[in-house]
Amino acid sequence: MPKQLAVVPERCSGCKICEIVCSMSHFKVTNPKKSAIRVMVVYPHPVVRMPIVCSQCRVPKCEEGCPVDAIARRDGVVEIDRDLCISCLKCLKSCPFGAIFVHDDVEYPIKCDLCGGDPQCAKACPKNAIIFIPEHVLGQAQRLNNVLSYYHMKEIEYFERGEKKQIRYAEIGKEEI
Amino acid sequence: MNTVRGGYFGQILRVNLSTEEWVVERSSEGFLLQYIGGRGFGAKLVWDNLKAHNFMVDPLGEENLLVIAPGPLTGLYLPSSGKCSFVSLSPATGIYGDSNMGGVFGVELRQTGYDAVAITGKAEELSFLFIDNGDVSIIAAPELRGKGCLEAEGLIKQRLGDHSVHVAVIGVAGENLVSFACVNADWSRNAGRTGIGAVMGAKNLKAIVVRGSKDLPVYDLERLNQETCKAMSYIKNHKFFKLWQEQGLMCVIDYANNMGILPTHNFRDGAFVRSEAINGFTMESKFKIGDSACFACPMACGNICLVKDGKYAGTVTEGPEYESCAMLGSNLGVDKFPAILKANSLCDELGMDTISVGSLIGAVIEGYETGLLSLEDLDGEPIQWGDDEKIIRVIENIARREGIGEILAGGARKVLNHWPQLTPLLSHVKGLEQSAYDCRAAISMALAYATCDIGAHHTRAWTVAKELEDGQNWSLEEKATFVVYHQTIRPLFDMLGVCRLPWIELGLNEKHYENFYAAATGVELSLDDLMARSREVYDLTRLISVKRGVSRDDDQAPVRWLKDPVQTGMQAGKTIREDDFNEILSTYYRLRNWDDEGKPLPEIEKRFD
Repeated sequence: MPKQLAVVPERCSGCKICEIVCSMSHFKVTNPKKSAIRVMVVYPHPVVRMPIVCSQCRVPKCEEGCPVDAIARRDGVVEIDRDLCISCLKCLKSCPFGAIFVHDDVEYPIKCDLCGGDPQCAKACPKNAIIFIPEHVLGQAQRLNNVLSYYHMKEIEYFERGEKKQIRYAEIGKEEI
Repeated sequence: MNTVRGGYFGQILRVNLSTEEWVVERSSEGFLLQYIGGRGFGAKLVWDNLKAHNFMVDPLGEENLLVIAPGPLTGLYLPSSGKCSFVSLSPATGIYGDSNMGGVFGVELRQTGYDAVAITGKAEELSFLFIDNGDVSIIAAPELRGKGCLEAEGLIKQRLGDHSVHVAVIGVAGENLVSFACVNADWSRNAGRTGIGAVMGAKNLKAIVVRGSKDLPVYDLERLNQETCKAMSYIKNHKFFKLWQEQGLMCVIDYANNMGILPTHNFRDGAFVRSEAINGFTMESKFKIGDSACFACPMACGNICLVKDGKYAGTVTEGPEYESCAMLGSNLGVDKFPAILKANSLCDELGMDTISVGSLIGAVIEGYETGLLSLEDLDGEPIQWGDDEKIIRVIENIARREGIGEILAGGARKVLNHWPQLTPLLSHVKGLEQSAYDCRAAISMALAYATCDIGAHHTRAWTVAKELEDGQNWSLEEKATFVVYHQTIRPLFDMLGVCRLPWIELGLNEKHYENFYAAATGVELSLDDLMARSREVYDLTRLISVKRGVSRDDDQAPVRWLKDPVQTGMQAGKTIREDDFNEILSTYYRLRNWDDEGKPLPEIEKRFD
């Protein structure tokens, strides 16, 4: 089942643990700047903390932007082929999310490879702001939200053991379109 | 065995703002081993500078040295490793002063390749120091004069064309040499106490900007990782972990209120009747919009708060944490949380320490209420408990040194010179205003304030909770021993460059830190060995103070602790007995191997040559 790294910015506290563990697992060093994930922090209006990481797009813009065809998606991971890459950094700009990174000491662009299917950032995040979930789960929360906020719903109140409760229901076939 | 094999870049950056020269100084192995980092490095460098000037250094003079030092663990993968110390001679006290901040600034500073930065001299015009991966430039920026911390940070990032740099900046208060001006980084992290912001202001140094991308030196990454996984898993499974994420230090408001040690009405009362309006639950349910964590911290004790309606609508700030909320809230009789948020965010933007601000304004309000200050003293405008609008005006006045602010901006010492009648109301030690725990029910806390090396602050020893909970029957000797223990282990965290909250609040075993240190540096030292180093640094900071004229007379308890019983709350009626205080002070000196005047024995000084 294909899985994706998803980010829930509302939960992120900006601690950067994801950046450290990424650099540790890929480069065996402690260096938040050598990571394939970056926590963006914006303040004070609005206050947002959002980890930026590759979405492994099915139609990768980085692939389109690569002049030497070094980028391709294989088994759900968008990979840079180091034999072909000329490190022109065009991919950094062509990614609409800015999810490819560069570091002086590293010859090639730094990009998320999902750690071979076990992303360390998702494992270490203390706030569950980075989650590794089956692709079909993406959007589930929004779908559910959408259903629950459907405005044609009716509400009734009732009492159960003296406690006031509420249920909502949609009447079948009564709404005009 | 004791060879340093990691943990340091082994170089210190020295910058002279007057001559615009900078040099890189190699650190000897002995220096790294003895002083570890953070405040340890700071104390040693400040000591050397003082010696070179025959101990005649004006804290606001060109010759004063400002040291910014993270520690060997700063930035590594271990719980809450984002601490960075700012060390100098304090303009508030005239003696050793330090303050540290969390966040990311210290990590980025280390990544420039320096273990510490030591700044002396004075720039010709308002400037900022830019440390860019080992390269250094002093950039004149007179356009930043009068700008608030956040505004200046934004302007600097714009000018450098890079929003990923980290900026430690002073506000208007620092420029105006307010003696409790702080340094602010990344909007919300402050090196608050002892007036380091004024030291920067006196150097015409508006900001220190860092951009670093170097690998942090670690000797044994695998060992560090294993130790950290254990520590992280302990923290994440702690029963208070969730509360900590939800409320952070704000949960202490209820605790302090219940224990009767919440500063209320300028420490007159020990509990606040309206405390539920300013406690952690109010903050969390009505104002909190997000969590904020320092570097590598799973606890995320920072709270982003927003006022959604009313006259302070739109105020957004990270905080308040406990000290700010108590000192700007209950201590001033303010029961409106939005007003506290406003005052807090104003202090951040102007660059002032919320503890000192709350303490000084509290003394003024009580002074006016009791008739010790006249309406004329207050520029004709009355001020009373809970008068948030007036309090906020006074905060601005202080930063701009206008009206009554001109007097308050000098700090406790200057205020008492001007208004000696406030002596019974304004509690300070060595010129630093007392922080937000009433100590009259816990003599160990009074001793901790009196002997804290920067003045009346809880940073070195926070013994009040333990004494009230478990130590009622302890002898004075046991209490003094406990203070020395705290004053030894707590500064160790500042030397290592990590936060002590996982240990003090969630009980993370302190033994982890010897493994962290060993994994980072390759030096196998026991916790006791590390604590011995910390204890030496405490001797050193004491020596600095003694050379600057401090003696037993300066370790005395303020009038309020001795003469003025707590009026309400669980500790009502409590004061410190003067005999007890003198006895515990003598005991303390003995435990520290200092003479009865509080002077370290002569042979101790030789260790710091």
